[in-house]
Amino acid sequence: MVKKQIHPIIRLFLLLISIFVIFSGCSTDDNNANSTKALIQTNNPPPSTINGNEKDQKLVMDVKKKVMSKKEVYDVSVIKGEQDILVAYKVRHLKRFRMKKIEADLQKELEKEFPDEKFTISSDYKIFLESIRLQDKINNKQIPKEDLEKRLSEIIKLSNEKT
Amino acid sequence: MGKSKKKKSKTPEQQQYAQFEQKHEIKRPVVRNCVVAFLVGGTICVIGQAISYFYIYFFNFTEQTAGNPTVATLIFLSMLLTGFGVYDRIGQFAGAGSAVPVTGFGNAVISASIEHRTEGFVLGVGGNMFKLAGSVILFGVFSAFVVALIKTLIMKWVGV
Repeated sequence: MVKKQIHPIIRLFLLLISIFVIFSGCSTDDNNANSTKALIQTNNPPPSTINGNEKDQKLVMDVKKKVMSKKEVYDVSVIKGEQDILVAYKVRHLKRFRMKKIEADLQKELEKEFPDEKFTISSDYKIFLESIRLQDKINNKQIPKEDLEKRLSEIIKLSNEKT
Repeated sequence: MGKSKKKKSKTPEQQQYAQFEQKHEIKRPVVRNCVVAFLVGGTICVIGQAISYFYIYFFNFTEQTAGNPTVATLIFLSMLLTGFGVYDRIGQFAGAGSAVPVTGFGNAVISASIEHRTEGFVLGVGGNMFKLAGSVILFGVFSAFVVALIKTLIMKWVGV
């Protein structure tokens, strides 16, 4: 009886698919509808504040408007905590070559327009994803403010990590 | 000019042989090789991008830090595939498409180890493991050192 051989390329794809299926089980259960596709599609979430007061709300709206006015940027998430404001954004694909310059310009412009605020800005996908997840938590209103504040400072710390 | 000089220095027998060789030489399918290398190399890069997104999405890695585990995973996968004899076939089919990405590095390490396995673990596997990949590591480290040196000097002098 002749044993039928599986083509090596098909074998490779089977291996990759099985790896993908195995690792899919690692997903955490805190993914809401907004954050699941945050890396693939444009979200443009409304800016959030952890305190939720009107003055802060107006401020984050202005920050978002300012960031969105840059033509290289297309998806912006703004979260204001007690002291820091986290601005995460996506840069248009072909403009990503000049990402560092865009970041430096944006930081300078924001600091000039809102001199009393402390900004952390990032074009990293991970920071964007985490900010969307945090916004989902803020909107749920089930988590205490201290925990939200702690998570925000963790995200800011993560954005400063280099290695 | 150099070519004609070379041609002149050939003996009649050598010229005759060159003509004979040219007539029978099988032409390399350069375009086909390029297309296949592009497609397979691109597929490997797509897999790498997917692994990178996987680390960003499910673990605490940023775009900047996800590079290291992605490269490690790709090398590990290519080492496994080399051991199973799958990567050799991909290499035969794709050529540079499978050798140029970082997966080619894993393949170079493991294939050298397998080749010298019969000479023992220390002198065979240990001594020859980096026969091919060693030059890649050395060249990479040295060029990184030179580039870092140039950058440091420029930053020190120009202050960019």
